[in-house]
Amino acid sequence: MVFNACMKHKLVRKSVREFAEAELGPIAHEIDREARFPLEVVEKMRSLNFFGLQVPKKYGGAAADSISYAIAVEEISRVSGAMGLCITVHNSVGIYPILKYGTEEQKQRFVPKLARGEHIGAFCLTEANAGSDAGGVETNAVRDGDGYVINGTKIFVTNGGVCSTPLIFAVTNPDKPGRSASVFIVEKGTPGFSVGEIEDLCGMRANPVSSLFFEDCRVPKENLLGAEGDGLKIGLNALDTGRIGIGAQAVGIAQAALEASVKYSKERQQFRKPIASFQSIQNLLADMATEIDAARLLVYRACAAKDAGLDFGKEAAMAKLYASTVASRVTGNAMQIHGGYGYSREYDVERFFRDAKVTEIYEGTSEVQRMVISKAILTEPI
Amino acid sequence: MRAGDTTKMLKMIVCIKQVPMVSELPWDPKTGVLTRDAAEGMMNPACKSALEAALRLKEEHNGQITAITMGPPMAMEVLHEALAMGADRCLMLSDPKMAGADTQVTSFTLARAIEIFCSDYDLILCGCHTSDSETAQVGPQIAEELDIPSAAYVENLSVKGKTIRIERIADHFLETLEMDLPGLVTVTTGHFTPRYIPIGGLQDAFGEPNILTVGAHDLSLDENTIGLKGSPTKILEVFSSTAGKKNVVLTGAPKKIVEELFKRFDDTIGSVIRKDLKAVK
Amino acid sequence: MERKKRSIWVFGDYRNYFQNRVTLQLISRANDLAKIIGAEVCVTVFGHDTDEWVGEYIAHGAMKVYVCDHPDLKFYSNDVYITLMERLVRRYEPEILLVGATTFGREFAPRLAKRLKTGLTADCIGLDINEDGILIQTAPAFGGNLLTKIVTPERRPQMATVRPGTFQEIPHNYHATGEIVPVPLPEDLPKDRIRLISSERQPSREQKLEDAAVVVCGGRGMGSRKKFKNLYELARVLGGEVGATRPVVYSKWAEDETLVGQADKHIKPKVLFSFGISGAIQHTAGIKDAGFIIAVNKNPNAVMMKMADVAIVADAGQVCTALIRELKKRIRS
Repeated sequence: MVFNACMKHKLVRKSVREFAEAELGPIAHEIDREARFPLEVVEKMRSLNFFGLQVPKKYGGAAADSISYAIAVEEISRVSGAMGLCITVHNSVGIYPILKYGTEEQKQRFVPKLARGEHIGAFCLTEANAGSDAGGVETNAVRDGDGYVINGTKIFVTNGGVCSTPLIFAVTNPDKPGRSASVFIVEKGTPGFSVGEIEDLCGMRANPVSSLFFEDCRVPKENLLGAEGDGLKIGLNALDTGRIGIGAQAVGIAQAALEASVKYSKERQQFRKPIASFQSIQNLLADMATEIDAARLLVYRACAAKDAGLDFGKEAAMAKLYASTVASRVTGNAMQIHGGYGYSREYDVERFFRDAKVTEIYEGTSEVQRMVISKAILTEPI
Repeated sequence: MRAGDTTKMLKMIVCIKQVPMVSELPWDPKTGVLTRDAAEGMMNPACKSALEAALRLKEEHNGQITAITMGPPMAMEVLHEALAMGADRCLMLSDPKMAGADTQVTSFTLARAIEIFCSDYDLILCGCHTSDSETAQVGPQIAEELDIPSAAYVENLSVKGKTIRIERIADHFLETLEMDLPGLVTVTTGHFTPRYIPIGGLQDAFGEPNILTVGAHDLSLDENTIGLKGSPTKILEVFSSTAGKKNVVLTGAPKKIVEELFKRFDDTIGSVIRKDLKAVK
Repeated sequence: MERKKRSIWVFGDYRNYFQNRVTLQLISRANDLAKIIGAEVCVTVFGHDTDEWVGEYIAHGAMKVYVCDHPDLKFYSNDVYITLMERLVRRYEPEILLVGATTFGREFAPRLAKRLKTGLTADCIGLDINEDGILIQTAPAFGGNLLTKIVTPERRPQMATVRPGTFQEIPHNYHATGEIVPVPLPEDLPKDRIRLISSERQPSREQKLEDAAVVVCGGRGMGSRKKFKNLYELARVLGGEVGATRPVVYSKWAEDETLVGQADKHIKPKVLFSFGISGAIQHTAGIKDAGFIIAVNKNPNAVMMKMADVAIVADAGQVCTALIRELKKRIRS
């Protein structure tokens, strides 16, 4: 049984699973192999609100609660981690900052197209010399008349190859500690904005992760999100929501690995018995299942905190830290259970293994999550 | 004709059944008996196609869809699903007294509910059969109960005024029929592939769901006329169709298995393909 | 008052006579049942120019035929036929009424049963009489995975629709005699609420897969498109056809035409090879009429394996290859 808080969440899971298994299931293996972003499925996902999961109705979204959102990401990721990644990044760090910090004019201008999936969103913080340390960002935006001129290079941008309105984290005032950076919405087609080669990554290969280049890229001041200097605040807040999504993604990948392992261990015979009859395998499966459920509950708790309007930074970090650790461990164990077949690229398990690893790295590494968590508990009143 | 004239609105009723989702039946390998209770429920595929047909008519005409189901409280799920797909309102018939109904009594109960709660319908749509009991009887029997015409196994349909144009394949004949409304059709899964459920639709379906739940009392039905008590047919026994099979299990290396297969069943296979499959000396 | 002789009735469904022998099959089974309960076997024929069918039914075992022959009955009509049948049943009170599970029968019988306020069992694949003289009706459920035995203990007639091909017809006997009872067309028949605009005989479609004696079905368990292609070679060696499950067709390992399942093709091979198919109901509903089933799957607990006569627990692709090799060795030119 998969934990469902109520009938709505059960139906969300059922509906997304039906879609994912029918539309993504048959191609998940192939799009990973060919590193192909499946536009034909994206087209179908648009009308089903996958690109505006939590966007209010008035901007054309589904207005879903956070647990529904997490379930949707989980179920897409259960079939294709790379497409789960596309959805979660688009919805969390690609749209949420505009909804939270944008002006009404900016929301009207950018959100409906994003919510309908006509535009795909992205968030660009990481650079050659910056990642977990946002202070190392070198991309800069210089005020020039009624606009800004952006220069710099962003790397490892999820959805980079297909994004239309990426949010760019850039330094506007290097002399103001804590308020040195700002976030800009850059539209595709703006002169000076170009997309680099698609990265050749270990996992999440169907997602067009790429570099983005900005050379004297001029954006109007109306594209500044929030106020000048709000960059860090917006960035950190975006990452908090992003972590819920990555946690959900990790749970989905782990769930797929568990299901494959249960199935395989019942089929695979050794010493004239299914390997599921051996206690060593049973122990592995028991731990995998327990850890996945625990991770899932942590993700849903962060969702509930967010929907209740509470601070959820620590909860999101815990969910992301634990879920990604579990995903890595569970997919590794799944490979162990599958033996040689698990190591074969004909089977899905090695894809789960490759996809799971990066959940410990992006949207803040596990080490950064521990910083966030420990900082929170050390400053909380006793 | 004025805009918003509700008399012009095509009023549809879709009857939906929740059936067990049985992709892997939980069998008892020793007795061959299956445990139905363990299965998750789902909207019967043909019912979903009937709903899809109604949704397409609704998009084409100015339409309104009422989805009805009869079942235990957990069957409420298929009504939420129907709302999420685009139904306008729902009627849930749920009462322990209604349990165990055969088709005769199920159609009787549904027809009474339709007469009481949504009698101004133009078209009733049902799935052509259910994946669990597979009787394909409830649809035509509702029509008989309501004294309206019916057409089963409908592949395609279009509404023109107070009639409906139907295409179906009946016993190797491609038939085009015209039926007076109000009427009832049962729809096949062939042409009306159901749409996926949008997440936004699901959120709305649980916001302020337009679902009316009624029991036997609300329909003024005597408990002796409904459920198991009122049903003329009785089920004596349910058993696995495979229980009678010998079910020989072969394991080992593929080559050995294949040799064993022919050793035992060369005649069975050989007689069908009209070849002598005895081992070559 | 004259005591009515017990009777078992069969609805004479003569459309597509040459393909559809279900009426003859039912007359045959009705004869078996009639012997047990001491009844006569009667058939009803509604239509126009029906002499040929009446003769056929008598030649195949009908003892009495109620015939309503009139130009107005030229086309099958639910509303009219139900009213005619209802009146005859009320008048002669048969014990049992059997209807072939054709498209028409499946629509006609439920409404008739409703009007007669009696029970109806759908799509039976077995009919017997128990010690109390009650008709035991065996009907499939869950895509043929389950069978149910159903009775109508009190209401009469006991009604069932029966799947074509369930029973063997009695061979044609030119010397058979039967009583023909003409039924006048009532004047107060209902006006038909459905009008037939056109009815075209479907050009007899290629039904190679549906009619094949041997079918090789494959599922996702075949592993890859390349391995799936081996099934075609196996089918060729066996002189059979290839069928596929929905996931396989979605993955483009096989053509749409090979789809076997509930909403797709229904097959009835004498021997069915099933490779790497778990047995989702959407698929098994399409193979419920298969004879001898050989299933290959790594999972011994798959539904398909439970349905099989021979369940081979092994890699589907490898067994397919081994089978081709062994068959080629055994089939001498």
